[in-house]
Amino acid sequence: MNSLSAVSSGPVYTTMTTAVDPSPGTVLLAVRHASKSYNGVPALTDASLELRAGEVHALMGENGAGKSTLIKLLAGVLAPDRIEVEIQGRPATLHSPQAAYGHGLRFIHQELNIVPQLSVAENVFLGQRYPAWFGTLVRWRTLNRRARDVLAMLGVHHIDPSERMARLSPGDQMLVSIARAFAGDDSDNGSRALVYVMDEPTAALTGHEVDLLFEVINGLKARGSAVLYVSHRMEEIFRISDRITVMRDGRVVGTRHAADTHPGELIRLMTGRTLQQVYPPRQTPVGERMRLTVRNLRSHAVRADAFDLREGEIVGVAGLNGSGRTELLRALVGADRRLSGEILLDGRRVSLTPAMAWRNGVAFVPEERRSQGLVLSRSVADNITLPGLAWLSRGGMLIDRGLERRTSRSLGDTVQLKMIGPDQTVRELSGGNQQKAVFARALTRTTRVLLLLDEPTRGVDVGAKVDLYRLIRELSGQGAAILMVSSDLPELIGMTDRILIMRQGVLVDEVPTAGLTEESLLSLCYGETAHERSTDGGR
Amino acid sequence: MSVPQTVGVRPARKRRAFSVARWLRTFGTLIGFLIIVAIFWQQRPTTFMTVTNWLNITQQVSILGVVAFTMTVVMVVGDFDLSVGTMASLVGIIAGTLFQNEQPVAVAVVAGLLAGALGGLINGFLVSYVGISAFVTTLGTMTIFGGLALYISGGTTIFGRVIPEAFGNFGREGLVLGSITIPNLTLLALAVLVLTWFILEQTVFGRRLYAIGGNREASRLAGVRVRFLRLLAFVVSGLGAAAAGLMLASRLASANPKQGDGLMLNAIAAVFLGMTMSEEGEPHVLGTLVGVLILGVLANGLTQLNIDSYIQQILTGGIIILAVTLSSLSRRGQ
Ligand SMILES: Nc1ncnc2c1ncn2[C@@H]1O[C@H](COP(=O)(O)OP(=O)(O)OP(=O)(O)O)[C@@H](O)[C@H]1O
Ligand SMILES: [Mg+2]
Repeated sequence: MNSLSAVSSGPVYTTMTTAVDPSPGTVLLAVRHASKSYNGVPALTDASLELRAGEVHALMGENGAGKSTLIKLLAGVLAPDRIEVEIQGRPATLHSPQAAYGHGLRFIHQELNIVPQLSVAENVFLGQRYPAWFGTLVRWRTLNRRARDVLAMLGVHHIDPSERMARLSPGDQMLVSIARAFAGDDSDNGSRALVYVMDEPTAALTGHEVDLLFEVINGLKARGSAVLYVSHRMEEIFRISDRITVMRDGRVVGTRHAADTHPGELIRLMTGRTLQQVYPPRQTPVGERMRLTVRNLRSHAVRADAFDLREGEIVGVAGLNGSGRTELLRALVGADRRLSGEILLDGRRVSLTPAMAWRNGVAFVPEERRSQGLVLSRSVADNITLPGLAWLSRGGMLIDRGLERRTSRSLGDTVQLKMIGPDQTVRELSGGNQQKAVFARALTRTTRVLLLLDEPTRGVDVGAKVDLYRLIRELSGQGAAILMVSSDLPELIGMTDRILIMRQGVLVDEVPTAGLTEESLLSLCYGETAHERSTDGGR
Repeated sequence: MSVPQTVGVRPARKRRAFSVARWLRTFGTLIGFLIIVAIFWQQRPTTFMTVTNWLNITQQVSILGVVAFTMTVVMVVGDFDLSVGTMASLVGIIAGTLFQNEQPVAVAVVAGLLAGALGGLINGFLVSYVGISAFVTTLGTMTIFGGLALYISGGTTIFGRVIPEAFGNFGREGLVLGSITIPNLTLLALAVLVLTWFILEQTVFGRRLYAIGGNREASRLAGVRVRFLRLLAFVVSGLGAAAAGLMLASRLASANPKQGDGLMLNAIAAVFLGMTMSEEGEPHVLGTLVGVLILGVLANGLTQLNIDSYIQQILTGGIIILAVTLSSLSRRGQ
């Protein structure tokens, strides 16, 4: 079908939604000449886009292409330099989030925006009128029930609506912010918003959750809404979208019907280059030496009786959201308190804390880049060198700015980080570029023993992902053992030698990757057959 | 190795354009400072803008400076220390009491600094390891240190012949350079300034403190020993408070159980003024210096204008609020 899937191990692009000509829908939202620059640097230049009734319109582009900027202009959270908006043919101004809401626009933003002090239910209905007695006394039970319904629609049953938001994992927080976009809808009387804008909603979702979200999206389509959908996962784009608009360097470079294009063309539009290979094959055999041995590991959230990683081996961790994948890595590195457990690193017994881990050549890429990975107020260089200051300084004591900048510039290039320079504040980078900054850290050290990667490519564009995969392979080729969590199943299958399966906080299984399909891996995650899953809705 | 073919674009590097708003945000407070200086200069052309008066100002602010510079370190980490004022008083009393017991100056100085470090250690331990908020902890220790000072001194001022001459003279004398004399206290404050600047800007320790202040959890996961460094930051501010207490006792040649109490609020105000001068609103020690000078120049100039000290207080508070408001307004809407 195309150059990308021809060599990759996996995805078959289904085009089930594009059989009919999507053009008859009326234009619900038209944006013209959208422009925005930050401190004089243009991020968005004269972008135009139309969303039609009943269509899913994908927005693609490399990290930093301007997708989120365009979306923030629509959402009224960012002031445009210039923009013309028409909603159902009438000119509109979107100067505030309330205005956007009033015009029937709903948003799932790329980065978490939640109120940690409030409950899950309050977050789901944030900005809306809560159900109340006499208009003042909030009916909490009703509110919680409604929140539970919205979450259930997305297949999320493990989140308690009365729980405080701050106590949720970042992955679960993301699910709540997705649910928020649908909170005002009433499926019974068919009321729904005009346009749904989703900025990488699936970056943190796995398998069945993606399916459920797509079901919801198809429902919205059927009822005549328009969906603007951002994702870096090519197979999703072809599965769900009718038309695809590609952005590059802040400009719209083209719109295609999904039926008339293929991933190769999109990648060329996005990057100006062609990709020949997604998952580079293993070059060197897995070594004999045991890098990591784990026995009887327990924390408040996980239990793993035994697993090992050999020199040069890449091992995946698969499971659903909330299955304890992240917590397994956190317990290993000492980010969460271990209740018990024996960890041998190169045969030496260690009791890791994050500080000790980095010092011993263990790199950790945490799940959520903004709250757990980055110091947003500091420069790119400061962030990349933070765990490596001990060796990227004079004698471990004095800052060596020249070395820091050289290191972060070259590591930035290695991961295709798009920045003005190493002194740029990390907050100013696009989401995918922030992710690359977190990843770049894992490369600062020359001797590497073990890499713990939690969703290392989340939000990274197609082209740069390939580079990250190559880097991971190179590191493993140099003898590092790699333990990698990912919601992106093709990525797990393409990169790993073995996969650990987590279910409800317990390490339940370990399977060789060879011969696995997405389907069979997913079944392992559920611990049921695929048939059971489709009949009982997942849990 | 079969590497994917890369043709075409490299990551773009663009140049950042000059922006007035950005510039004003960073330098607004400094400009405000210069305007204040200009006004006093115009009002008191013969006395204000003289070398003697400026040396006088630096001596007047030196003690506040030492507290504020070290307070900056704690605030960089995202905490603050309310106990520095009463700590300064307590250290003065400790030194005075030792003098009453005919101990030499060196013993008093070392004991004072040790007391400061110990106080900081207690604050840091409670905040960082026990997990009590910095506000509650230092509010508590502030009261305790103040109470200790009163208890040890019996509520009276220690002064007169018990204070060794060398100790009392130090705070009044200075380095004679021809016709001018640079006060010892000014030199001391300058040394603390350079030291804290060096620690915060040039050492790995300082870099990690800034990282903790920016995102504690991310810093921890990146291998920074957050708890230990937070504790150390409190030790630094405790030491600063102790040094200030000794300087104050030396300058006044006496020790009163309340003489340092007022330093705390002014020190925090100075750090806040300094924070308005940084892009990301982070504390930094050169900004704190400007904050300290603003407070010092205001006090000096308003006194020269014979403005009532109560009115001075009102004006100073107003100016602090004005500076912080302007800076947060210019930060908005982008
Ligand atoms: N607050 C900001 N200050 C300065 N520059 C910014 C800011 N936010 C974004 N930018 C710049 O604007 C450009 C576009 O960013 P945007 O977030 O729109 O990219 P994106 O297409 O959403 O990328 P990604 O796929 O990584 O999410 C980037 O070059 C980014 O560095
Ligand atoms: Mg984005």
